[in-house]
Amino acid sequence: MKILKVEHLKKSFGGLQATNDVSFEMQPGELAAIIGPNGAGKSTFFNLLTGYYKADSGRIFFKGQEITNWAPHEIVRLGISRAFQVSNIYPAMTTYENIRQAILTKQKRTLNLFSPAAGMAKKETRELLDISGLSSFADTIAGQLSQGDKKRLELAIALGCRPELLFLDEPTAGMSAEETTQTMELVKRLNRELGLTILFTEHDMSVVFGYAQQLTVLHLGAIIAQGDPGEVRQNATVQKVYLGEEA
Amino acid sequence: MKRSFWLVLVFIVALALPSVIGEFWVHVAIEILILGLFAVSFNMLFGYMGQLSFGHAAYFGVGAYATGLLLLKTPLPLPVCFFISMAAAGLAALVFGYFCVRLTGIYFAILTMAFGQLIYYIIFQWYAFTGGDNGLQGIVPPGWLLNVRHYYYFTLFIVIGALVVMWLISASPFGHTMRAIRDNAERTRFIGINVRRYMLINFVIAGMFAGLAGGLLGPFNRSIAPDLCNWQQSGIPVFMTVIGGPLAFFGPMVGAVIYTLLFALITGFTEYWPLTIGLVIILVVLYLPGGVLGLVQKKWIPLHSKKLTPGPNGGAGEEI
Ligand SMILES: Nc1ncnc2c1ncn2[C@@H]1O[C@H](COP(=O)(O)OP(=O)(O)OP(=O)(O)O)[C@@H](O)[C@H]1O
Ligand SMILES: [Mg+2]
Repeated sequence: MKILKVEHLKKSFGGLQATNDVSFEMQPGELAAIIGPNGAGKSTFFNLLTGYYKADSGRIFFKGQEITNWAPHEIVRLGISRAFQVSNIYPAMTTYENIRQAILTKQKRTLNLFSPAAGMAKKETRELLDISGLSSFADTIAGQLSQGDKKRLELAIALGCRPELLFLDEPTAGMSAEETTQTMELVKRLNRELGLTILFTEHDMSVVFGYAQQLTVLHLGAIIAQGDPGEVRQNATVQKVYLGEEA
Repeated sequence: MKRSFWLVLVFIVALALPSVIGEFWVHVAIEILILGLFAVSFNMLFGYMGQLSFGHAAYFGVGAYATGLLLLKTPLPLPVCFFISMAAAGLAALVFGYFCVRLTGIYFAILTMAFGQLIYYIIFQWYAFTGGDNGLQGIVPPGWLLNVRHYYYFTLFIVIGALVVMWLISASPFGHTMRAIRDNAERTRFIGINVRRYMLINFVIAGMFAGLAGGLLGPFNRSIAPDLCNWQQSGIPVFMTVIGGPLAFFGPMVGAVIYTLLFALITGFTEYWPLTIGLVIILVVLYLPGGVLGLVQKKWIPLHSKKLTPGPNGGAGEEI
């Protein structure tokens, strides 16, 4: 069964068609990317899939279950989590607490009113700190982290939700070339080793090619090409869209 | 630990107090305890959830009237009255909170205030049941509490019990979830929390403890008046919390000590109490933005620099 299935999804802002009749599918275990120039509608697509926006029309299914226009927290509980393009963390909490909050929520312990949180989920939190390379910042107030580390934390929070399907909105935005490689290698490992199904967006085509098995190109809210990286690179429309804009 | 040292010290002082001070000051001390409990319950909303309630006196008032009426009209023992006070205040908080948690920031403040005034007017107008603007007179505690020093110890232990429970809540995963909501409600939704439902639960808990504080008031004053539910009364925990420090658990309690002592001292020789408290608030806001305890708790500084109150917490698409 498809882990994600999207049928004729539409969303407009005023006169602007930000998502224009998008149909899309993912197999379990896939690592896929959505690319497209600025304003193509990548984030809007994620926002529709995760309940941030309500769709004008169309349907979304997760493992056969329709989740169109569900509330964000309900979607997360089913097993879908996301990292935001602009890091969306808890700036006043420590890095450790940021990650632990996601884990405690996943463990359904947040309605526990009387036991101290301090001793809870230590192992799981340490593990995620380690995986995301943030161990040395465990006690740093997250708002004081560097831009790149905030993005890493953003990813770690999404992982703390223990998703089956993970959406990463430009996971390397604002990172140096070295950090970008590190992060993309981590994404690859999560996919290979943990079997996470991952969809990420990127507007820089060159980042994508080494990692994604499937590529979808969005332009003005609509899909203009789809396939493996090789096919997409050859696609004439894609070349035209990207010409003069990127790479 | 330094904190436990201070707590033990304060506890010992609190135990010894009635034997070294006169009756007037025992009254003041009881008032400090009751209003301090009220303020700490208010701070569950303000400090921990990041929302300013300007109608918290309503739940204080419901609690006060519940115990007051029960003592006047039934033979129920006082502790049972307090439980009913908490339940009644919690129920009122559930009904009104259901609407309030849909809003944040100034809109939350205004709606809590509007509901608070609604309760005030009901109590004010319902002569047959609440005595209207006459209030309730002759609320007498059981014999063993008639002595004001006894009532002091009774109040002390109830307030300590309530503080322990609230402290546990603040340190629990639920308490941390409230901080998370204050810090970034949107992120909290996207890790799987039904933000409104959690805010409502917290609103109800805060209402219940306000109700308990209110319950303690009637048998202490022997009377209650509708004024204790109106919006001026809702301002008191706000002042206390701002003075003591909203980001420290005991901040509102410290604020209650300062506020109530000042009130007792100042009103003795001048009628310019509003002016005095106004000046104190201005000084604190300008020079001690984290309150008195904010000075002590350096580790909270990153929180201080951040705007504490109402952020853009609103969101769509979630039902309770
Ligand atoms: N809430 C909104 N209100 C109005 N217009 C919006 C809103 N969100 C997105 N848009 C518009 O929809 C279009 C698609 O935006 P979106 O953020 O999805 O693009 P993107 O592909 O993620 O771009 P980028 O690479 O810059 O992140 C843009 O024209 C944007 O201005
Ligand atoms: Mg985007």
